[in-house]
Amino acid sequence: MTRKQKRLSVIVGGLAFLGAATGLTFYALGQKASYFYMPADLTTASLQPGQRIRLGGLIEKGTIVRGQGTTVAFSVTDTHKSVKVTYTGILPDLFREEQGVITEGTFGSDGTFVADSVLAKHDERYMPKEVADGLKAKGVWQESTN
Amino acid sequence: MLFWVIAAILTLGASLAVLLPLAGGGKGASTSSDHDLEVYRDQLAELERDAARGLIQPAEAEEARAEIARRILRLGSAGQADASGTRQPSTMVRLVATAAVLAVPLLSWGVYSQLGSPDFPSQPLAERLAKNPADSSVDELVARAEAHLAANPSDGRGWDVLAPIYLRLQRYSDAVTAYRNAIRFGGDTAAREAGLGEAIANVAGGIVTADAQSAFEQALKLDPANPKASFYLAMALAQEGRLPEATAAWQKMLTLLPPDSPWHGAVEQALAEAGNRSVAAGKPTKGPDAAAVDAASSMSPQDRQAMIDTMVAGLDQKLRENPRDTEGWMRLIRSYAVLGKAKEARDALHRGIAVFGADSEEAKKFTAFAASLGLTATE
Amino acid sequence: MVETGHFALVLAFVLSLVQTLVPLIGARTGNQRLMAVGGPVTVTGFALTALSFAALAGAYASSDFSVASVWENSHSLQPLIYKITGTWGNHEGSMLLWVLILTFFGALVAAFGSNLPATLRANVLAVQGAIGATFFLFILATSNPFTRLNPAPIEGRDLNPILQDLGLAIHPPFLYLGYVGFSICFSFSVAALIEGRIDASWARWVRPWTLVAWMFLTGGIAMGSYWAYYELGWGGFWFWDPVENASFMPWLAGTALLHSAIVMEKRSALKIWTLLLAILTFSLSLLGTFLVRSGVLTSVHAFATDPTRGVFILCILTLFIGGSLALFALRAPRLTAGGLFHPISREGALVLNNLFLTTATATVLVGTLYPLAVEALSGGKISVGAPFFNLTFGPLMLPLLVVVPFGPLLAWKRGDVFAVAQRLMAAFAAALLAMLVTGLFIDGASVFAALGVGLAFWLVCGALTDLAVKSGFGNVAPSIMLRRFAGLPRSVFGTALAHLGLGLTVLGIVGTLCFGTEKILSMHAGESVELSGHTLRFEGLYPAQGPNYSEDRGRFSLIGADGGIAAEITSAKRFFPVRQMTTTESGIETLGFSQLYLSLGDEGTDGSVVVRLWWKPLVTLIWGGAFVMMAGAAMSLLDRRLRVGAPSRRRKPAATMPSAGVP
Repeated sequence: MTRKQKRLSVIVGGLAFLGAATGLTFYALGQKASYFYMPADLTTASLQPGQRIRLGGLIEKGTIVRGQGTTVAFSVTDTHKSVKVTYTGILPDLFREEQGVITEGTFGSDGTFVADSVLAKHDERYMPKEVADGLKAKGVWQESTN
Repeated sequence: MLFWVIAAILTLGASLAVLLPLAGGGKGASTSSDHDLEVYRDQLAELERDAARGLIQPAEAEEARAEIARRILRLGSAGQADASGTRQPSTMVRLVATAAVLAVPLLSWGVYSQLGSPDFPSQPLAERLAKNPADSSVDELVARAEAHLAANPSDGRGWDVLAPIYLRLQRYSDAVTAYRNAIRFGGDTAAREAGLGEAIANVAGGIVTADAQSAFEQALKLDPANPKASFYLAMALAQEGRLPEATAAWQKMLTLLPPDSPWHGAVEQALAEAGNRSVAAGKPTKGPDAAAVDAASSMSPQDRQAMIDTMVAGLDQKLRENPRDTEGWMRLIRSYAVLGKAKEARDALHRGIAVFGADSEEAKKFTAFAASLGLTATE
Repeated sequence: MVETGHFALVLAFVLSLVQTLVPLIGARTGNQRLMAVGGPVTVTGFALTALSFAALAGAYASSDFSVASVWENSHSLQPLIYKITGTWGNHEGSMLLWVLILTFFGALVAAFGSNLPATLRANVLAVQGAIGATFFLFILATSNPFTRLNPAPIEGRDLNPILQDLGLAIHPPFLYLGYVGFSICFSFSVAALIEGRIDASWARWVRPWTLVAWMFLTGGIAMGSYWAYYELGWGGFWFWDPVENASFMPWLAGTALLHSAIVMEKRSALKIWTLLLAILTFSLSLLGTFLVRSGVLTSVHAFATDPTRGVFILCILTLFIGGSLALFALRAPRLTAGGLFHPISREGALVLNNLFLTTATATVLVGTLYPLAVEALSGGKISVGAPFFNLTFGPLMLPLLVVVPFGPLLAWKRGDVFAVAQRLMAAFAAALLAMLVTGLFIDGASVFAALGVGLAFWLVCGALTDLAVKSGFGNVAPSIMLRRFAGLPRSVFGTALAHLGLGLTVLGIVGTLCFGTEKILSMHAGESVELSGHTLRFEGLYPAQGPNYSEDRGRFSLIGADGGIAAEITSAKRFFPVRQMTTTESGIETLGFSQLYLSLGDEGTDGSVVVRLWWKPLVTLIWGGAFVMMAGAAMSLLDRRLRVGAPSRRRKPAATMPSAGVP
């Protein structure tokens, strides 16, 4: 191989590597990014069975039911619609009625949302951003002046 | 004064940092190629060390040596070109120097005068608390008590003293904490439980919540004659709309209270209010006779009206934040109806219905309730 | 004292303007006096910033609620240590810490830069001053920590309880030392671009700064990860949270820079690439600051939600990243390219390292920014979490880790990969053995777990092989070998330690992910539970009162083999009344390199408590490995090679022409 050919093969190899990495990145984005929904969006959104999503909203008052052992059921609402959620595990410290929450998981066959992670808001001063934006868009929540 | 002295010294120091190098003679620094050469020499020395230690093969070392030497040669030829020497300072340079020296005091004092508050001293908390108690504000005295309790958190008596003060200062949630701590470390008494209930009710804006209710019930269990607990439990009944039961409870209180009890006035006032409310509910379209309401209370007419308005506005605000509260909506509709504000009452009815949806159970309940007050959904 | 700090801050801002303009003009016109201004001004600027920071810390320590930021973020009942760390536990204070570190690094260049060519030094200080000036302006205009309140409130609003933890309190300074340390590399790059030439001393100067910044960043990330592990109560050590990614991206790019700077220093090759990488690394640091500080991302760290701050930082970002890249495009073609090398050589291995690391950085960047882009373009909200990063970052890292042991053993210019493979046979055998033992003798080990353990052993043994080969193991007598071992350059030890630490971290991650077990159950007092051979008894809940919180402590006993109590573990639910917040304190018992981890959940109605237990084998190695990496960086820093003398007056260029080696 001449020097030129060598350099060419190095460049081609590098480009092929970058191409593969780019392809992998976009494939992964398509497969693994999970979309955020509010309960009212779910009627219009077409979900594939088993698709992972993030479901956000407020925890509806009076719907928290602690079942056997560590399973908890509650409803997430955006005040227009609500969705039943079940979750097994320890709830975050800030998990309370009528507080903002983001759950991540998939819909079960019976229409309840089976969450494998539950995130509550971090701080009294703020809601999960997605939830706040969604609620503002629906006109049900105003930022409290603090 | 001290501040200005320090500020002046700092400014002087900063100006000197600019001025001194400008005034000093230029050292006639070495050229870049001198520095490059120094690096290459160092590389050669390192190469020799590595080679001596056997870290690199002799052939490799030879090759590397040749490479460094080539770099040094290249440097030698380039070095002739940039040996131009230092030039005399031009007017431009002098201008820059002057501007830089002047900028330091002028800009800094200019900017600071816009942002700072030079006459406002630091106020460390310890210093504020160490003042003579007579000069201290109530807030500062409370802070001192808090500091004591922080050091001795299990001093139940201390919490007991502080709790009612919080209540009076309207720091209700602190009062809740203080009463809870007083109970935890000082034991359960009727007075503490009743105080806790009052604090919780005040946190909730005067509404006797379930938590407050259970505290009052606990107080009555410890001392069946506790007037505060009896009073607020009757208030809870009234707030639920069970006026006859509330009236009965308050009337029973009047018979049981010792004659010199300060609670007489409060109970009578509550009874009068309850009476008016039931009268008003009977003939809602006309609205209550304001003069009659005022006559029954010891308050001045303006004060009383203002108080009622604030309470209703508070409830309204609470419902805007927390709309899913059936009881609350009914209370709001009734309040507006009782005050003769039919338009607001109707508006509250609409908002209540909107929250739960037009064909929900609650909406039907609201409509029926409003109708019982003589109110229809439309004018 | 507070106002003195305020005035010092303003003065430091003005000095940073002088520091930017005067040396720059001096370097353009070749005026020695103007250039000489840079040094003293930089050092004075640092002293003033330090004074300002001390004044703010004093206000925090003495609970001076006449200062707005103290009132908002502190409480008189907090322990003193959290009062002081509260200084940077908020937006205003943390930005002041940022510029304090920036001026500190500037002052170090000014103080120890006497062996730099004068124009390079002047330009570096000017660029450093420009960064400082914009951030001072940002602080004074949008986030002034010295804003006063009159009359002063008597009590503060408390520091966010999540931040009242020692681990969290000390990790921001480390992270900032890392982030901001890369500003020096950036300033050197921009200075070289302004001058249009790269001095030979450039690489020698940039490499130690990269090492320092990288060392602190490694420590900061490790501490942040450990904090998240024990404080958030979820038992996870890395969440691919955007804020974590914001610190991880400069680390990856910085690691690449560290390696390419070696090539540049030794062989004068990859000059332009190293320059670009230095610019990109600091750009990623700035991007991280922007993402965290602008409120674009929400997290515990996002203090600022004021939109003007976000816009301001975005402007700074555009100015420095855009400006430096434009300058690069303009000037890079003028720079001369360096030496040539064969693809299979030390240089080749380092290029491969750079290729993988920068690509990995890019995937993390894409994953972090993609949700923002989607939201800006279509309004849709998506989240990119661990599954994405596992799928992209993982495949990129695995091949890189496999080739790591080859790099240090390959020769410069042209290497012999077969000879190196032969030397690595022992390491390979050890890795294979570890893989087989894991696969055959540990219950429930997957193929992936076995491969992971093998990879970790491969890295560790590879690093040891490097040391053995370089001290002549097997070729010379043991006594000579020992002498050679002791005489090895520190940088060789540094490399070996860093790679060994990497192997330990990998081992920790594999151990925790593949062999960890967990249980969630509700327990009554007196009940026992078994997890991976450890028996725990729940003793019950006990209330307690802390300085500014009340808590319910759950006590657990670890039952030893003899039936007695081997250890007590406590997990607590803390309630902070001022902020009305509850936090969970997890209970951790370290057994060897492994940990038992438990956290309390909600109390049930029947007096039971939900308890979550984890057995995390070898988990401490994750952070232990990071500390070994830091030790490696520190060792490299001690290498004498990094100390270059200044040219002395006596030696004239003609006299120093070496006679040896001229072809």
